[in-house]
Amino acid sequence: MNLAAVGLGVAVAVGVLTALAAVVVPAPMRSTVTGAGTALTGAAGVVAGIAAMTGESFTVALPALLPLSGVSMTLDALGGLFVAVTGGVAVAAGIYGISYTRSHGLDARLVQAVFPLFVVAMLLVPAAASVGTFLVCWELMALTSLLLVVAEHRRRPEVASAGRWYAVMTHLGFVTVLVGLLVFVAHAADDSFPALREAGRQLSPGVAGLVFVVTLAGFSSKAGILPLHAWLPRAHPEAPSHVSALMSAAMVNLGVYGMVRVGFDLLGGGARWWWLLVLALGALSAVYGILQAAMSTDLKRLLGQSTTENMGLVLVGVGAAGLFATSGDRVLAGLALAAALLHVIVHAAFKTLLFLAAGSVLHATGTRDLDALGGLRPRMPVTTAAFGLGALAASALPPGTAFVSEWLLLQALIHGLPASGTTGGTAAAIAMPVAVAAVALTAGLAVATFVKAFGVGFLAKPRTAAAENAYESPPSMLAGMGLAGLACVVLAVLPTIVLPGVATAGSVALGAGESAVTGAVTLRLVGVVGSLSPLVLTLALVAALVVAAGAVRVVATRRARRVARRVVRLWDCGAGPLSARMEYTATSFAEPLQRVFDNVVQPETDVDVSHHEESRYLVQAVEYRRRVPDRIERRLYQPVLAAVAAWGRAGRRLATGSVHRYLGYGFYTVCGLLILLAVTR
Amino acid sequence: MLSLWRKIRRTGRVAEPAPPRPAAPPADRMPVELAGSVQIRHVDAGSCNGCEVEIGSAFGPVYDAERYGARLVASPRHADALLVTGPVTRNMAEPLRRTYDAVPRPKLVVAVGDCARNCGVFAGAYGVAGAVRDVVPVDLEIAGCPPRPEAIVEGLRKLTGR
Repeated sequence: MNLAAVGLGVAVAVGVLTALAAVVVPAPMRSTVTGAGTALTGAAGVVAGIAAMTGESFTVALPALLPLSGVSMTLDALGGLFVAVTGGVAVAAGIYGISYTRSHGLDARLVQAVFPLFVVAMLLVPAAASVGTFLVCWELMALTSLLLVVAEHRRRPEVASAGRWYAVMTHLGFVTVLVGLLVFVAHAADDSFPALREAGRQLSPGVAGLVFVVTLAGFSSKAGILPLHAWLPRAHPEAPSHVSALMSAAMVNLGVYGMVRVGFDLLGGGARWWWLLVLALGALSAVYGILQAAMSTDLKRLLGQSTTENMGLVLVGVGAAGLFATSGDRVLAGLALAAALLHVIVHAAFKTLLFLAAGSVLHATGTRDLDALGGLRPRMPVTTAAFGLGALAASALPPGTAFVSEWLLLQALIHGLPASGTTGGTAAAIAMPVAVAAVALTAGLAVATFVKAFGVGFLAKPRTAAAENAYESPPSMLAGMGLAGLACVVLAVLPTIVLPGVATAGSVALGAGESAVTGAVTLRLVGVVGSLSPLVLTLALVAALVVAAGAVRVVATRRARRVARRVVRLWDCGAGPLSARMEYTATSFAEPLQRVFDNVVQPETDVDVSHHEESRYLVQAVEYRRRVPDRIERRLYQPVLAAVAAWGRAGRRLATGSVHRYLGYGFYTVCGLLILLAVTR
Repeated sequence: MLSLWRKIRRTGRVAEPAPPRPAAPPADRMPVELAGSVQIRHVDAGSCNGCEVEIGSAFGPVYDAERYGARLVASPRHADALLVTGPVTRNMAEPLRRTYDAVPRPKLVVAVGDCARNCGVFAGAYGVAGAVRDVVPVDLEIAGCPPRPEAIVEGLRKLTGR
């Protein structure tokens, strides 16, 4: 009995049955059934994925299921990793969704039925073993996620706009993937992945490059990579929070999966410039994404932009792995790919936690605006702890979850410097230091961003009545966050338990080889010098904290015994009591960064000073407004949109509404085609 | 930067020679813990700013009160002494009291100028709550309207004992 096959089969069956049940079951029970069913689907997916990562791959062909191409599935270790990640996110999001959908009026039949289908589609994408199956699953995933994004479109008009952006961009991405893979299939015996793998070895460099670049465009738009990221900070915040978690933690990963599958596995590595391109796109996305997040004052938008950043870091790893592999350095290639895949897992864990916690805040306060939050710690202690843990995990600092993967990534990049005598090439000599700098800058900005999100959003005094009246979320939402938090902690202290699976997954892409990282408690890099023990590091940090806090307490009590203590009021410059208006806001916190990166982000600020009627010297009110527009969007998208609009207006002249004219168009087109055929045949 | 150094070298020292040390006040009034270094927070309790100008020059390069161990700080939490100027207005009475409470012990209060001592020309005005000693206990008074910088420096030297 193959556990991977059984797991995936059970996942699909439970998911589809849940979708059917969601249509049948009456409204009061619906969200419970969907949530539990989705969680079960996810759990089965996790089992299947882990089984595949430990070597139990399977292949199944169902030629009758889909006309013309049939369905063929293969779950290998690489696909298994993404299936397991998706499944894990689905468990947390499913349990969380039980209460969340009920309290947000999302228990309509359509939304509830589509949710498990979305999970099933995401579980099937990495298991597809032919272009036809892959594209069908990909499109199913895009459609179901689109339906979920626009779930709240009646209540908020901005959801509809976000949905339009998402629909257009995801389908343009689909078209590019389709075109790229069809060009590939044209050079192969049939559309199955083994045939493509065979053909990929003999493909001319030009065609292979074309296939790679065209599919890269599609996959990078799904992963939210620059410059095709515009949909991500729109759609992810506007979707219901458990859907945001699934999209941001699971769906974007599949873009990375596509790149690794097509680039490494099917095309067999390719040329160096492919991977330099991937590396450059990744580094740019990482820095730009986190810079946008640092400026953002919308909690969920901030998280969405941080997804762009993290996918950028993953792409840096993938690009570096490709670069090393083409230079023939298997050890470093394995290390870089392991870092990238570990970051995929880690990012899924903490982004799920953060989005679920943000959803909990939205549930309690009805707002995502950081400048309107604050003071949530005493009112929502569990959510605050969850978000704090997620924020720590997202910053690449030692006890955090992302620290290990970013450390591995930096190790790979630093050891890749030609000076250390491993790989040659001018390209690597330029790319590696720049990539190291980009990763380091990203890590620093990520800390600032998450300090802002946590400090401004949860600590100090509440800034509005909505934050004042916040309340803790129901148990199922807390359970969802708890699961994601547990995953974060385990990955932070014992990343070694997933590293063997990551290595197996990486070997699918790079060919069998030694595992890049070994060790049960201490990570030891194989082939290059470097070791790290997250568990010991965390224990040492905790011990140091406990000792420091204990010492301070001892000193304070001793002093208190010697010197009489007195209670005085907090120093507030002698004026009235401190109020929430005196607090740091998200805008003011980001202001120094905004000044530093003024030339990059080009913020628009307005200061309006209104004076008193009687005297110009008395100021009545000062209004400060800041907007950080996306420059890439302005430079790249607006001209394209304007051109499309102009083209559409020009095209309107052809369509006057006269039926005769339309018949004429048809007639002349057919004639033209016939003439063309007569001439060419 | 270089021109700044050149300016410093060319100007040299402009501080006036230190006058003889003033007679110390009774030892029980001045805390010994301060040991020649007194951090001072200035509070304008309703002054006409005449005294502020003189305090500014007392801490300027010519009179240079810092060489006797007196230093202006930005918060009462950092301070050993308050330097209060002006008659205490109604709006400043409570903030002055709170500032006094915010200074850690041992603490001193210096009333600078005639207004701070006895409301000066503002005595009896509708917005005046009283002299400084009516609001917080005063340890040292410096007379003058406004007091000359030499007088302020002399007063501060009594505090630092240098």
